Amino acid sequence: MVAALAVASSANAAETKGPVTDDIGVLVIPKGAPIQIGAYWVMSGADSALGIDEKRGVEIAIKDQGGKLVGHPVKLNVEDDGCNAEGGQTAATKIASNPATAIVIGPACSSAATPGAPILWKAGLTDIDTAATAPALTAADRKPEYAGFVRTVYSDIDQGRADAQYVHDVLKAQKIVTVHDGSPYAQQLATVMGENFKKLGGQVLSQEAVAPTDVDMHPVLTRVATEKPDVIYAPVFVAAGAQLLRQSKDIPGLEKVPLIGSSGQMAPDLIEAARGAIVGYKITYPDVSPESMGKGYPKFVDEYKKAYGEAPISGYHANAYDGAQLAFKAIEKVAKTDASGATYIGRKALRDAVFATKFEGVSGPISCDQYGQCAKFKPAVYEFTNGDPKTFKIGENPKKIWP
Amino acid sequence: MTDVAASRGFIPKLSTLSRFTFVDVVLWALRIGVIIVVIGGTIGTLIKARYGAAQWFDFLVFGVTIGSVYALVALGYTMVYGVLRLINFAHGDIMMTGAFSGYFVASSFAESGFLDTNPFLAMLGILAVAVTTSTVIAVLTERLAYRPFRRVRGLAPLICAIGVSFFLEQTFRGAFGSGVRAYPDPKWQKNTLDVFGFSVPLVEVLVVAAALISMLVLYVIVQRTRMGTAMRAVSEDSDTAAMMGIDVNKVVVFTFALGGAMAGIAGVCYAFVFKQVYFFMGFTPGIKAFGAAVLGGIGSVPGAMLGGLFLGIVESVGPALFLDGIGITAPYQLRDLIAFTLLIMVLIFRPYGIMGERMAKKRA
Repeated sequence: MVAALAVASSANAAETKGPVTDDIGVLVIPKGAPIQIGAYWVMSGADSALGIDEKRGVEIAIKDQGGKLVGHPVKLNVEDDGCNAEGGQTAATKIASNPATAIVIGPACSSAATPGAPILWKAGLTDIDTAATAPALTAADRKPEYAGFVRTVYSDIDQGRADAQYVHDVLKAQKIVTVHDGSPYAQQLATVMGENFKKLGGQVLSQEAVAPTDVDMHPVLTRVATEKPDVIYAPVFVAAGAQLLRQSKDIPGLEKVPLIGSSGQMAPDLIEAARGAIVGYKITYPDVSPESMGKGYPKFVDEYKKAYGEAPISGYHANAYDGAQLAFKAIEKVAKTDASGATYIGRKALRDAVFATKFEGVSGPISCDQYGQCAKFKPAVYEFTNGDPKTFKIGENPKKIWP
Repeated sequence: MTDVAASRGFIPKLSTLSRFTFVDVVLWALRIGVIIVVIGGTIGTLIKARYGAAQWFDFLVFGVTIGSVYALVALGYTMVYGVLRLINFAHGDIMMTGAFSGYFVASSFAESGFLDTNPFLAMLGILAVAVTTSTVIAVLTERLAYRPFRRVRGLAPLICAIGVSFFLEQTFRGAFGSGVRAYPDPKWQKNTLDVFGFSVPLVEVLVVAAALISMLVLYVIVQRTRMGTAMRAVSEDSDTAAMMGIDVNKVVVFTFALGGAMAGIAGVCYAFVFKQVYFFMGFTPGIKAFGAAVLGGIGSVPGAMLGGLFLGIVESVGPALFLDGIGITAPYQLRDLIAFTLLIMVLIFRPYGIMGERMAKKRA
């Protein structure tokens, strides 16, 4: 009780350091010291392409900034969150425990963002998410501890609606089964898609679930086969997605039923894990063809290729670049430097500046609503054409088939 | 001993009723709760009649397939426990090393077409490499990590085993990356076999057959050879065995080698059924197989086989049979819950495991 009161009072008492007064705290960066940006993404395991791609986006943004911001060198501290809740909690705690952290970028997975964002906001840190799309994170009824969370990526509210439309109108499916993996991303996307599918007049026979690390999909698929769906919609991640894909073809009754995946699976690792079974596999995804992106996108991709010697390995590099841009613009707005060359940043002011900043990003226009939703969804469907992981290139394998 | 066993058994003696504690009440409530769920769920599922005979047979076959892999891995746990009283937590990872080394052979065979043209020789080659790797690694872990702890009492050997587990996982992660790799999928494995009028994928039949043959060979080695007799003697009482002129070190090395070989076969079987390998793949089957070993009565070789099969079948059939009927959506998410509830129930009803009592009596 006493501790709780102490925390509450320290949170309310405004802090003044140098020229800046702020409700929740002031970050002081001594002259010559780096401005530290925390980041957490999935950097290992089957889903690592997601995180590495976004880290590269942020690195290019730092390079474009000349490596300097408000007179200080920029230092990026990256933590691996493993794309799961425990990893997100550990990574966020680690970032929050560094008092020099100015702002945080990431993560890629909603499982990591759900526990991570409140930890960061409790430490006064604004978190700019670059690929975690679960609707609840920016919903109108989100809890106050998510107040420091914004994202430069779309919400699955929109993806779920678009996916339902595709499955109902283009694939002409009437009865579907959805499969999620218990993660906030997959569960919420499957639910939103199912609700929209019902609104369109379709029928959701059941909402099944597997675990992200499950390897034996036979029983759940056998169960699905008894319901005779037209389409199985499974927005899970790489490992479970590949298993569903490989095993669904062996189940009597499911040989011809299309399995539709989603945005957690756009990675060369999916081909590595599914091999021959991948040909013809369709996933719904944001439209990342150059025509649908912002004006600066082609130049950004050139820079990406030059820096890393390969085409982008996943789809959220542009969102990450824009996330970093948003952070830099907001810091430039609120940072104040005194005569000694030290820089002061008010943490609450920085959060408000992030919410208020609007610009034309490489992924599209960035403009946040009051719940931290700063980007829109542009739907597309991609189809894999080759079982060799080396041929992975977004736009070719898989190639865009809709719209 | 017998009093304790009776009071933990099915029907308590009248005289013990007055001594019921809070814990007893909770344990009984748990037992009754699980039985209600099992019976209620089964009746519900059967009334709904959602699954036909073909589906039940499929569930059963999946269960036997995964169960025989659990059984192979469980043998390694149980033999090492029998001889050293050590729970070798790295055993699941030893299975992973077998599956991983088999992957490289299998994928090169698949690329050259050898796996399709000469399936028998190719499978034999893959198994040979996998078994060699996992056996060598099992023997090395014994020599380098466990032997220095042989006479140490307390938790140090156990912690060391967990350390070896991490070491193997991270070594493979460092060497081969953290991504998931796909085992080849040769066409002949997709053929199906007709069993009692139901079609069963050939690969599942092969896995079950390989597991049964390996277990039979192992059983013969343990029961009929000099080395097997020595193993049993050491597990009875290693000091007395040493006094009788048995080279305990040799027996321990042999035990690890045998366990490692079984794990190698299990790794390849597992990988051909589930088609994926990655550095952490040994963890969950390892824990499940340890559960299977405890279920069967740790230290007992037939117990491990039985425990593995039993766990596999319950895991595969259980969610549909018990949970579907009481209206739980997405029952397969709760598969591990069923597996571990089963383990807890067995430990409550029969603390020595299914086959454990006979052994405990023999040892007493």
